[in-house]
Amino acid sequence: MDGKQQRILMLVGSPKGLEKSNSARLGRRVADELERLGWTSEAIHAHQVVKTEAGTTELLAAVDRADALLFVSPLYVDSLPAPAIRALEAIAEHRRDLPVGPMPRFAAILNCGFVEPSHNDTCQRILRRFAEQARFDWMAGISLGVSGQTPKRIRTALEILVEAINLELLLSDQVEALTRKPLMPRWLYMLGGNAMWRRVAKKNGVRNRLRDRPYAPTGR
Amino acid sequence: MTKKALILDGGTGDGENTRRAGELASDILQRSGWEVANLALREMTIAPCLGCFGCWIKTPGECVIDDAGRDVAAQIVRSDLLVYLTPLTFGGYSSQLKKALDRMIPNILPFFRFVNREIHHVKRYARYPRLAAIGTCPDEKSDPDEEDLFEMLVHRNAINMHAPKYATCVVDASDDDDVRQRRIENLLGRVGV
Repeated sequence: MDGKQQRILMLVGSPKGLEKSNSARLGRRVADELERLGWTSEAIHAHQVVKTEAGTTELLAAVDRADALLFVSPLYVDSLPAPAIRALEAIAEHRRDLPVGPMPRFAAILNCGFVEPSHNDTCQRILRRFAEQARFDWMAGISLGVSGQTPKRIRTALEILVEAINLELLLSDQVEALTRKPLMPRWLYMLGGNAMWRRVAKKNGVRNRLRDRPYAPTGR
Repeated sequence: MTKKALILDGGTGDGENTRRAGELASDILQRSGWEVANLALREMTIAPCLGCFGCWIKTPGECVIDDAGRDVAAQIVRSDLLVYLTPLTFGGYSSQLKKALDRMIPNILPFFRFVNREIHHVKRYARYPRLAAIGTCPDEKSDPDEEDLFEMLVHRNAINMHAPKYATCVVDASDDDDVRQRRIENLLGRVGV
């Protein structure tokens, strides 16, 4: 490092955006800590920028300015939400023909609605391929369950990530140990989750319609 | 009764390999007596999933967004075979294919169940289509790691979307038509066509 202030770009893949999403909250926690260490940060909502050419240009300029890209997203059907993929497609295409130079760091935090963080594994591999193809220096992929809840051990893992990004260190195996184990027993999550869906549906007046089959073909 | 296949074409429209793979899949299915619907997703207005879960707890089984995404979800349930056609994108799906897949969530229930000691969602319907996925590689030859990743992704989707059978293949840009045809015939054979 040459003393120049470093910049992190947080790219948010959740449709809920920069204010309301769990993904942004997780990313903000990392970016805020980096700011305390002297970094500057900016945040971009993938869904918003990929809607227009001007937005995509803005995204690519922000990527060009960044020393590190922090990608934060929920898991959608084993992969990323479509607009987040669109943003990565645009970045990869933009960076493919750049002259050889220092590679910005890349870290990802994924969260899924299941209790097991392992649901994110396939998507982490996709992100790693993206980092290779778009010429980023892959640092870390952190996978979280329970929609990104942050008890103590997850907060500790995020602190280790901050240190790794700041000092350009390899992420320690401790992070895997801290994040891999589900935050609660599977049976408890299943019981609580199923009860929660019924409760919310009742509140919406559709408790008895939860199992509707509007598209069922005749005879099936 | 004639069996129905639905091809979800996630190509950009300018990739020769993807276009040709789609044509071959359609021809093979039709010659085998299947009724084929081919959706060029790039030409369809399908808004991104909002992540609101309205399709589970407000309008069960139907997305709250009234656009072509609803029609695709309905067509999937009424098909016997679903074919994904996608340029390999970091080993996964293109954004064009994924915009339709994100809107398939209404077709499953919010409730959880165990599959191989892991939590997944419960079926909404009695039957779901088999799944055949064709990844097209823009390069001369695909990377084995990328092929493996594509297979893993489709495998995970097959569990989550209750496909009774699934198979994948990757078609390289360097493949001539005979090779492409053999790969796709083999793929469809593995899902019972």
